Amino acid sequence: MIVFAAGSLIIPFGDLQKAFESKYPNIDVRAQYHGSIQVIRQVTDLHLPIDVIATADASLVPSLMYAVNDPDTGKPYASWDIRFATNHLAIAYRPESKYASQINADNWYTILSRPDVKVGITDPRFDAAGYRALMVFALAQQYYHQPTIFSNMFKGKFSFPLGYFYEDGLTTITVPEIVETAPGSNIIVRGASMEEIALLQSGDVDYTFEYESVILQQGLQMVHLPDALNLGEATYDQTYHQVEVDLNYQRFATVKPQFVGERIAYGITIPSNAPHPDAAAEFISFLLSPQGRAIMQANHQPLFNPVTADQYSNLPATLQTLCKPAYTP
Amino acid sequence: MNHKNWFFNALFSLAGGLLVIFVILPLFSTLLATTPAAFLMSFSDPEVLHSIGLTFGAAAIATSLALVTGVPLAYLLARHRFRGKRLLEAIINLPVVIPHTAAGVALLLVFGRRGLIGQWLSPLGIAFTDNIGGIVVAMLFVSLPFLVNLSREAFAMVDEELERVAFTDGASQSQAFWHITLPLAWRGVLGGAVMMWARGISEFGAVVILAYNPKIAPVLVFERFEGFGLNAAEPIALLLILVALVVFILLRLALMPEKAQD
Repeated sequence: MIVFAAGSLIIPFGDLQKAFESKYPNIDVRAQYHGSIQVIRQVTDLHLPIDVIATADASLVPSLMYAVNDPDTGKPYASWDIRFATNHLAIAYRPESKYASQINADNWYTILSRPDVKVGITDPRFDAAGYRALMVFALAQQYYHQPTIFSNMFKGKFSFPLGYFYEDGLTTITVPEIVETAPGSNIIVRGASMEEIALLQSGDVDYTFEYESVILQQGLQMVHLPDALNLGEATYDQTYHQVEVDLNYQRFATVKPQFVGERIAYGITIPSNAPHPDAAAEFISFLLSPQGRAIMQANHQPLFNPVTADQYSNLPATLQTLCKPAYTP
Repeated sequence: MNHKNWFFNALFSLAGGLLVIFVILPLFSTLLATTPAAFLMSFSDPEVLHSIGLTFGAAAIATSLALVTGVPLAYLLARHRFRGKRLLEAIINLPVVIPHTAAGVALLLVFGRRGLIGQWLSPLGIAFTDNIGGIVVAMLFVSLPFLVNLSREAFAMVDEELERVAFTDGASQSQAFWHITLPLAWRGVLGGAVMMWARGISEFGAVVILAYNPKIAPVLVFERFEGFGLNAAEPIALLLILVALVVFILLRLALMPEKAQD
């Protein structure tokens, strides 16, 4: 059985896989971890036979999988999605990072924009943590009432600039087709957050945007962002909605390249072309079981309680008992 | 030719032919899968052209660095016996067996901003992460065995007796090297340099850890594939294959006419 999951799940899902395989010795789980958009593209663009898809942004499943039909069957690649866990975005660093003794939740944006500070941001075209980091800067402008936070951080840092537009309470950030840091830029872009963590540990990056669960798993220092910025609090969902990241190109029919700010929700589904849908359902049941919950909790990534499902009626029957229908307005 | 020989040759040709087809088939499929329009577009894509220039240039710098350091080493290995020679040869060949991503991580620990060497160079403004310096050291590391090994073989092929004759005629060791050995071995050395350069161009794993930006061609192919799918990666892959093929053939013809005539 093949599992493709977001990079930030690598440690908890590794533990989950071990426990699952010892409970079901006849199921061999093979897992791969990529940026969340990449995970889905493996199904929709490369047509790989995958049994479980777990992304760090549940909204990617409706926009990238419901909307796209498998040419072999004529059915959408997915028809339901379970929102199983949340997270908070934070800033990871090490005691050796520049200005480590000074940084805090009130001054992080001035320290990160200093030219001698290296900042890791994952590629917003491929990875949810990347476009969420851009959202944080836009939200910070309003939160701290400082209209130049975004431009201080990003202006002149890329060969092709990011766009920033504000209209009627909505901030839209556009990402160009080519993301390449300009010479002398203090931003270090990588495709996945684990690569940023490696650079942080080698001292080549001073700070990187990362999920709180990963920072705790890795034993790194952390700047907690205020709730209005960390994309992890349900009560601030309306605030998060005020920002949106658009991929400013139309290269693929399959991607609707628009990410609206909202509380972080991890999504999991079984693609319609999964070769082992029953084993996949067992795996998701196990994730949602008390044992699975305990494993996720131990890795600082607690599950929602209760877990909700989008398009509940399309769920396999075994999973329906474990979820509640998501509220749909 | 008797019957047994015919059978032997046919069997070996079949076995070897399968391997040749194995190499050609993917190249041919890439060619067929790419539409001419998409292929021509990649010629006018500045990111692609810049990336190919960067790749060839960085590999050339890495090869030049190995020429001034690896050729002397190869000569010593070919001419002298000394304690620890086997160990030294094993060390030189290590980059062949180390997974290249692991090599990239190891290089980061040395050339990274806080690495053993990087920490002294970074205050001088010499950076390796996300920089051509990082690309060069990664290519150098993974491809240097080609130059050292082929040069060593080339030097070993030169009859030592010729050097001894030069010595008895009053030549210094330096004169013997520059006037006797190197002129006889240069094709082998340059053949090693071409192989090293080619290996450098194709490197991905070690480079991507040190320098995702600026993007060398293999990183760009991977990025287009990962981000935009197969259709976006194919034209660049094809362009890269064709350019590498043409340059490689030309260099081999220019440098190794003797081998070509064999």
